[in-house]
Amino acid sequence: MEQNNLGIAGRLAALIVAIIIMLAFYYGLDHLVMGMQGLPLNLDLTPAG
Amino acid sequence: MKQTESIHPTGGGRFAVMLLSMLILLVFGLADVARAGTGMDSAQERIAPIGEVRLQGQPPVEVHVETAAIQEQEAEPRAAPRLSSADYPNIGVSSRAVVWVLAQMHLFFGALVLAVPLFVLLIELVGVYTRDDRYDDMAHEFMKISLTGFSITAIFGGSLALALFLLYPDLMAYLMHVFGSQWLVYAGLFFFESFFLYVYYYGWNALRYGNLKWVHLTLGLLLNASGLTIMVMANSWATFMMAPSGVDEAGVVVGNIWEVMKGPLWNPINLHRFIANIAFGGAVVGAYAAFKFLSAKDPVKRAHYDWMGYTSNFIAILSFLPLPFAGYWLMAEIYAYSQQMGITAMGGILAWLFIVQAVLIGTILLAGNFYLWSGMSRTDGSERYKGLIKIIAFVLVVCFLIWVTPHTLILSASEISLLGGSHHHILGPLGIMPAKNIAVNLMLIATFLSFQIYRRSDKVATVSWAPMGNALMIAVYLGAVVNIIFLGVYYGYFTNTVYKVGSSVAQVMTTLVVIVFGLVIDSLMFKKAKVLPSHWGRIPDRAQYALFALPIAFTWLMALMGYVRSSVKTHWHVYTVMKDNSPDNFIPAIGYAGNMITLVTVLFLLCVLFMFWVASLSGSKQPKPVVAAAGGEA
Repeated sequence: MEQNNLGIAGRLAALIVAIIIMLAFYYGLDHLVMGMQGLPLNLDLTPAG
Repeated sequence: MKQTESIHPTGGGRFAVMLLSMLILLVFGLADVARAGTGMDSAQERIAPIGEVRLQGQPPVEVHVETAAIQEQEAEPRAAPRLSSADYPNIGVSSRAVVWVLAQMHLFFGALVLAVPLFVLLIELVGVYTRDDRYDDMAHEFMKISLTGFSITAIFGGSLALALFLLYPDLMAYLMHVFGSQWLVYAGLFFFESFFLYVYYYGWNALRYGNLKWVHLTLGLLLNASGLTIMVMANSWATFMMAPSGVDEAGVVVGNIWEVMKGPLWNPINLHRFIANIAFGGAVVGAYAAFKFLSAKDPVKRAHYDWMGYTSNFIAILSFLPLPFAGYWLMAEIYAYSQQMGITAMGGILAWLFIVQAVLIGTILLAGNFYLWSGMSRTDGSERYKGLIKIIAFVLVVCFLIWVTPHTLILSASEISLLGGSHHHILGPLGIMPAKNIAVNLMLIATFLSFQIYRRSDKVATVSWAPMGNALMIAVYLGAVVNIIFLGVYYGYFTNTVYKVGSSVAQVMTTLVVIVFGLVIDSLMFKKAKVLPSHWGRIPDRAQYALFALPIAFTWLMALMGYVRSSVKTHWHVYTVMKDNSPDNFIPAIGYAGNMITLVTVLFLLCVLFMFWVASLSGSKQPKPVVAAAGGEA
């Protein structure tokens, strides 16, 4: 089985941090892809303009 | 045994070359006939002597050549012909039906024989890098299966060319005029492809090791280069008929051959067919492996064919994953070229076929996933991931049901009043594209997860950061699911159409991020992993039936979408340029099309069974009869 260096709390913390990072990543991706198509978004992801 | 294997295809090969030569002669001979038929007014003019002919004892023939008139005629641009129904030969049965069957059969086999050498080359390359002869043997066996397919492709190609020139002579004459010398290049490429094919296949054992192996790989590369060039050239005819370029409104050629070929739909079709062919080829050879697995008694052979089936399924499903995106690009380009054409495809009579398409794609994904889950029983380490299978199955089924939900139902007046409108208040929102985009992307992500857990099931990560890697992988999936649903729901239902369409691209990118992250994280995390033993051959027999389901669904799907692609031209041979005035100049009804699609699917599967039988035949050897001793018994 995989090496288990982290306890349950550590693994949960790692998971939460990873989820936050990935959500931020997808947020940036949405801005990028929509912007490239000439469809800019506001910070709250509503259509800009 | 090897020698015995190589005996059969020689005959098929010679036959194919002979047939191709005949085909080329026929194509160009018939083109001349067609041109002569349209260019001359009477038989007397056709047999009129050109130049001065003087018979013995007779005065010289006076030939009045109106040079100026001829030059003027030559300079006059040639527009697309305007035909009447009398211009189409009547052979007593529907000309369209004849061409439909032949074209579809040619396309099926063409797709197969173009695809198999592509992944055979890759498998061979993997064999070189891993120094594992099993890859090389498997690649050779894949080629053996498809070899008969080349002859069958040529037979249907020749028959199709004959049918087209006989039944649609003016259309073919016009297309020959538009594409000009490209036809010669196309015909020439067949010689190259045949040459590389036979040297590649028969030279397999002669060019197996050392530097000679690289010569063999180069031959494979050249075989694929010729095959792909043939494919993109043929695609340009189809896309020219759908979205003509390089000609004016009357069909007069105003551009060069490159401008004629590179119409707006050419590259979307090229990409779509390239990917689809690989998926289709993988599915067909997977059925061969399943057939051999089920009929084998020897555990070694069962292990071999199990591995072959797994590889085929891997090729079919992995290349199938990006296919919806290529299809989406094609449809977007169709809409951009002609909104009317796009609406005919997805909003008119053909719209319901996309529901049928969803059923077939759902079948393919369910069958592919089921095979992977069944295959996990090959390793003991798969127990860790079995809990995920239920979640994946749930996602697949729910998304499948959303995808097949129609937007518009064919209802009677009483049914509409009972329903409270033509759209069901709950199911209605699920019938439109935003819901379906969410469903498709989630199904693809779920399928990739099946692949990932399958590939992980025989490994144990040894790197210290494995828990962090797993946390990141879970976050990649969860974030992607949230993002795909958010993009579909918010932009799909609460903003305007432009944002709705734009957000679907972001959904596709999200799915691709999952696939790329999954591949990168796993390749780093399991680089020096502890490998658990895999027991090839230890798979339930029922899993093999999933491999049979794949080519059936793929074949039916290809025929169905071929009908849609061709029908969007409505009553045009060449859209907006050359009208179809034949008795068949209408979109065939869905029921009729369904029968035709089923007919070609059954015909193709029968031919595939023949191909498998021939491939098996080459491996069997009749024992030499024992000669009876004089006066005794045998």
